Amino acid sequence: MASDDSKPDDLTAAIQSVAPVDTHLQVVVRLQNKAARALHYVAEVRATRYDPATRTLTLALSDEGREVIPGLAGKLPVFRHVDPGSQAEIHLSVPDKIVKLSRAVGSGGSGELAFETQQLFDVREVVVEVAWADVPYYQDTRASALQDARLPAARWEQHKARATKRPDKKRPPKS
Amino acid sequence: MATFILQDATGIGSDDLDPAQGFIDMSIIANDTGLGIADPAAGKQRMTYTRTGNGPPRLRLDAMINTAFSPNYGSGANNVDTIVVAGLKSLVLGDGSLMANNATVLPPRSSGLPGASLNPTEQCLIIYDTKLTVCVARAGSGGSLDLPVSPPVALYHEFSHAFRVVTNSLLAVTGICDPSSPEERAAIIDENDLRTDLASRQGASATLRDPGNHCGITDSDCESCCIIATLVSRSPGSRQVQMLRCARDHFVRGTDVGHAFFEHFFHNYYAFSPQACTLMAGDQSLRCQLLEGFVDPLLDFWNVMVERGRRVMSSTQLGAAFIALHPDRLHAERRHAALLRTSAYWDSGAGQSTEAPAQLLALLRDRAWPSPYMQWALVAPVRLMHALLTRYLAGADAPAIGRAFTEALDEWAPEVPISTLWAALPAAQMRRELGFCERALLQTTKSKNRFRQRLGERFPDITAVARVLGRVQALDEGDTWRATTANPTT
Repeated sequence: MASDDSKPDDLTAAIQSVAPVDTHLQVVVRLQNKAARALHYVAEVRATRYDPATRTLTLALSDEGREVIPGLAGKLPVFRHVDPGSQAEIHLSVPDKIVKLSRAVGSGGSGELAFETQQLFDVREVVVEVAWADVPYYQDTRASALQDARLPAARWEQHKARATKRPDKKRPPKS
Repeated sequence: MATFILQDATGIGSDDLDPAQGFIDMSIIANDTGLGIADPAAGKQRMTYTRTGNGPPRLRLDAMINTAFSPNYGSGANNVDTIVVAGLKSLVLGDGSLMANNATVLPPRSSGLPGASLNPTEQCLIIYDTKLTVCVARAGSGGSLDLPVSPPVALYHEFSHAFRVVTNSLLAVTGICDPSSPEERAAIIDENDLRTDLASRQGASATLRDPGNHCGITDSDCESCCIIATLVSRSPGSRQVQMLRCARDHFVRGTDVGHAFFEHFFHNYYAFSPQACTLMAGDQSLRCQLLEGFVDPLLDFWNVMVERGRRVMSSTQLGAAFIALHPDRLHAERRHAALLRTSAYWDSGAGQSTEAPAQLLALLRDRAWPSPYMQWALVAPVRLMHALLTRYLAGADAPAIGRAFTEALDEWAPEVPISTLWAALPAAQMRRELGFCERALLQTTKSKNRFRQRLGERFPDITAVARVLGRVQALDEGDTWRATTANPTT
């Protein structure tokens, strides 16, 4: 929806640190704007995905891939911008475990509601994806926007800055 | 079969769920002794309801609980139960969406309705955070997102969606929140039925949500400001609570840094305050003591700070403002005695005869005092007021009190906890935010210097910080950042 004069690598991200604090993981991300204009980005975690096979935790600062579902309120992400040639730092905090819905199967399962809990203390790699655009977010008031299956911020984003880091220290599992 | 509360399930611990709060929230919706809950079976508790009252919320609950729904989504009619999943804060949906501070409905997987692909079961799931802090658009406000949503209201909103899911009458859902989609508009209209019902129970007129606007924000700022002040002063509308709200609004209004401060503050505050209120609830003498020896001096302090934030006050004016807080010597002596008693209690638990104060003290030592936000915003101000009152009772006049007040503020104000948000601000905004802090809070050169020093040390390599502080350097033609911050000019 937004004009796209920017290059995908105009905004780069680097994970400065990943540290367990209480029951959360604190992730510090440094953004670098190499463009000659301000770049606007999503500044909060909108989706958390964990691949237990590779023990990769992905923190998506993006609404891309999120479904439109009935709910209490439509909440836009927090947007910020970083000046041309400048850096910014964002501090993210996510729970150190993820609980996902599943369905009990096998003996006695019969399709009842069940859950999968994934502890993140032994995450092998953290990936942060930051959605950004070279224009601020603004509401698309066209009638066609109402038919769009994507969330508004997913339509707005032009690129993603991506950073990965392997945490230095493992935290022992809770007793 | 119709509506259940999930009590336990494979793959999670029972501590993860909050079924008791789910039942409480449903009881608040019903406000009817006919609501009940069966013993747990297969990890669920079935809701029962023999309705004794009328009104939309009770009729809706009656329908949800006492009707066996068999919608036909295209492949024949099938029984669909509704399961309430309450309080699972770390729940993440299949698309990665977080359920903290959120509430939603997931239709049965085979229904093909919006959200169905995220539901692995053939039941209708209502999922909500029992401790959510969300603000939505107040009707008639033009879209101001300042109307709080209590957990029962959130749950009832989801019951509205669930009703249309199990009756296969779900309306269109869109990603845009303003204007609301037809489905969300219908849910908000239902939600307002409960808001009206809740208000009428208290003989008040309801503040309603705008059905045309489904937008919301996660924000503790629209919460009742201070539950401890509310408890000890016995009313959310008391002078004390209003003053705290005023202080908060004054220092937050229009500033991201102020919002960030209060986000941290409330996060830390609500880590102990609900328990503190429970402990204090049955102890009248403790409440009185904390009102006189803590809450009142704290609010007096913040009242002066708000006034000082609106206009620069000289030392003498500060001294006069302090003395005006104590209309006569008897009042001052009584306040001083209360401060002494409270101080002794904080230090050693002295002066209390029941068990609750000891538990409260342990709670505060464990959860409140370690927080720099609590120390700066709650503890240090009361100590400061105590010290000034001691001087006053020893005979100090307004100029002397004012000088002591100014010196104390110079030590206290720049030690305000620095949020990590500063590192995310672009330079122009940082200048504005810093300017506001300097006008509203710091004011003196000494105080401004100290804060700028801390900011520079906290974020030594953030471009915008360097740029904003470097601007001062350029203006002052100093050699180093530290040398130049002696003359902040913002």
